[in-house]
Amino acid sequence: MNEKLFRTLLGISILGLLIGTGGLINFFIHGKSTLALGSYIPWGLWVSLYTFFLGLTAGAFLITILTYVFRIKVFYGIGPLAAFTVVVVIICEIIIITLDLGHPVRMYRLLITPGFKSMIFWMVVFTMAMLIIYILETYYLLREEIIHWSQDPGIKNRKIYQSLALGRTAYTEEDRQQDQRRVRLLSLLSIPVGLFFYGSNGAVFAVLLNRPIWNSTLTPLLFIISALVSGGALIVLLTFMFKRDDNVIHLLGLTIRFLLVVMLILEFLHFFISYQWDVVYIVAALDLVLYGPYWWNFWIVHIAVGSLLPLYLMIFYPYNSRLLAWACFLIVFTFIAFRLNFVIPDQAVYKLEGLDASYFHDRLRTAYVPNLTEWLVSLWVISLGLLAFLLGARWLPVIQAGRGEEEHV
Amino acid sequence: MARDLPVEDPLVRMQRDLKRALQKNPKDLKWGMVIDIAKCIGCHACTIGCVAENKLPPGVVYRVVLEEETGRYPYVGRRFVPRPCLHCQNPPCTKACPVTATWQTEQGVVIVDYNRCIGCRYCLVACPYAARTSDFGEWYTAETAELPGKLYGQKAAANGYEAHPAAEYGRKWPDRDHDSPVGNARKCHFCLHRLKVGMLPACTTSCVGRATIFGDRTDPNSLVYETIGSPRVFVLKEELGTRPSVYYLK
Ligand code: SF4
Ligand code: SF4
Repeated sequence: MNEKLFRTLLGISILGLLIGTGGLINFFIHGKSTLALGSYIPWGLWVSLYTFFLGLTAGAFLITILTYVFRIKVFYGIGPLAAFTVVVVIICEIIIITLDLGHPVRMYRLLITPGFKSMIFWMVVFTMAMLIIYILETYYLLREEIIHWSQDPGIKNRKIYQSLALGRTAYTEEDRQQDQRRVRLLSLLSIPVGLFFYGSNGAVFAVLLNRPIWNSTLTPLLFIISALVSGGALIVLLTFMFKRDDNVIHLLGLTIRFLLVVMLILEFLHFFISYQWDVVYIVAALDLVLYGPYWWNFWIVHIAVGSLLPLYLMIFYPYNSRLLAWACFLIVFTFIAFRLNFVIPDQAVYKLEGLDASYFHDRLRTAYVPNLTEWLVSLWVISLGLLAFLLGARWLPVIQAGRGEEEHV
Repeated sequence: MARDLPVEDPLVRMQRDLKRALQKNPKDLKWGMVIDIAKCIGCHACTIGCVAENKLPPGVVYRVVLEEETGRYPYVGRRFVPRPCLHCQNPPCTKACPVTATWQTEQGVVIVDYNRCIGCRYCLVACPYAARTSDFGEWYTAETAELPGKLYGQKAAANGYEAHPAAEYGRKWPDRDHDSPVGNARKCHFCLHRLKVGMLPACTTSCVGRATIFGDRTDPNSLVYETIGSPRVFVLKEELGTRPSVYYLK
């Protein structure tokens, strides 16, 4: 890994953590009253961020599909990087959604009084399943290196690797084959689990009655495709930065280009069909996205910068890794705008006529702009994810190239 | 003219109906409400009655009175539609709850177990009537100045009222802090704690226009049963199939 890049990113993540801590402290001391949310927009930036992270986890899923369904072999090398990224991002996802709960300590309730009819329950089940699958997969992908490192006297903090090696001192050919079988099994398992994971997250929104934008059969599908786009883009970016492999970048670029087009078509269909219904509250919510006060978030951030520009770069420079990485950076960076546009406007329409004038309080309004505490806590979680990723990439053999030469100390 | 005057206050009749209902086997009882919007004068007394009864903090409200405009200029009108939780018989909110913290009782009342609710607010987004609100832990006295040693500072003011939550669901809740019901989804519960002791819900007794009728909707002799039979009856957003237990009269 490029030392300068590593140090810069490390600095950014630590700075982000420090700045974000201010918001976190304020939140812990004063509780939920520090948030800009209300009862008519009860899900805001943090739920959007949750769906953003959700998308970013799909990179490894995409690679698994390409490897095992389409039998494209070149992606083997980035397997550990992709799997490790998923673990970090799912943990960020869990942190942000836990903070969003009114009573996070009661999460254990999901085990003792589960609501099987609730999509959130299934979302949690599949999130946990994905986390377990990818923790195991990462471990088996890294085990060989870990065992080697644990036996290498030149490596500092060997004790860590010795404990991670679970007492093993040698790695045989038989072990290698066994681990490969395990990884293959886990990858295959991740395909149906992943489909349910992304699908159930979409279903959390899609099953709700009377929801102009969410309540659509297309929603789960859109969740799956958009996750693949953003997750794939993240992997391209990371591969470019940490483990340059032009072949992988070009192939993934082609795939993402195709998926991005499919996503835009689905999105267009979603809007087109909903407008055709011509129902007042549906049109009001859609208008809010397209022509409301945050029109620029849709047209400029999501469509122009987050979709058309990357598409242009990917179509006209399909073999330029640097430009492809830039295109993917734009996709990842603007993806939060796409999620905010999905989560907020649907709630920003009063469900009953006259609700706005019936009882006045800031928490009973449909105007929502995330406040400083929400942004700071979000920054904290993103920085934590970045830090965990950087430290993992340095202290664990997730970037396999140059095995043993990794500057891990 | 004289014929139109009610011979007895509907509240008296509802009180009698309630007494009868409470003697029934609870399993055979289904609470229901009818709101006659022709009688509602838009005074918001029910909203305030409910807020006071349940000591609702800022931003939490169980029953609002919606003001709707009807017709087109110059033939315009205005009507008032009080909206408590409609205690749907097919409630989308209860299905949404990942920890089964909200459910429908045998008597058809949709309630929340504050000690079980994790505060995910999924039920808030699932309710098509915006009948649930979240308790963000706000205080009316938040901006009040503190005057140490005096009887009327912030703490004293809070202690005199909002620090001690109402006995919703007939239970004593801890003083207001970060604990439940702070952080929970909250909603109208048909004043179950009042019903238990033979009192009508606060919105019903405080309704100036006598527009709110409450009782056992399975009792053919009750006023609520009688009113549900009116040809003027309708429910909100019928097309959603939620089958509310709160009916309206046009
Ligand atoms: S009105 Fe809303 S909160 Fe009340 S039962 Fe129906 S869906 Fe649930
Ligand atoms: S806010 Fe509470 S009652 Fe509502 S769905 Fe979540 S856990 Fe259930």
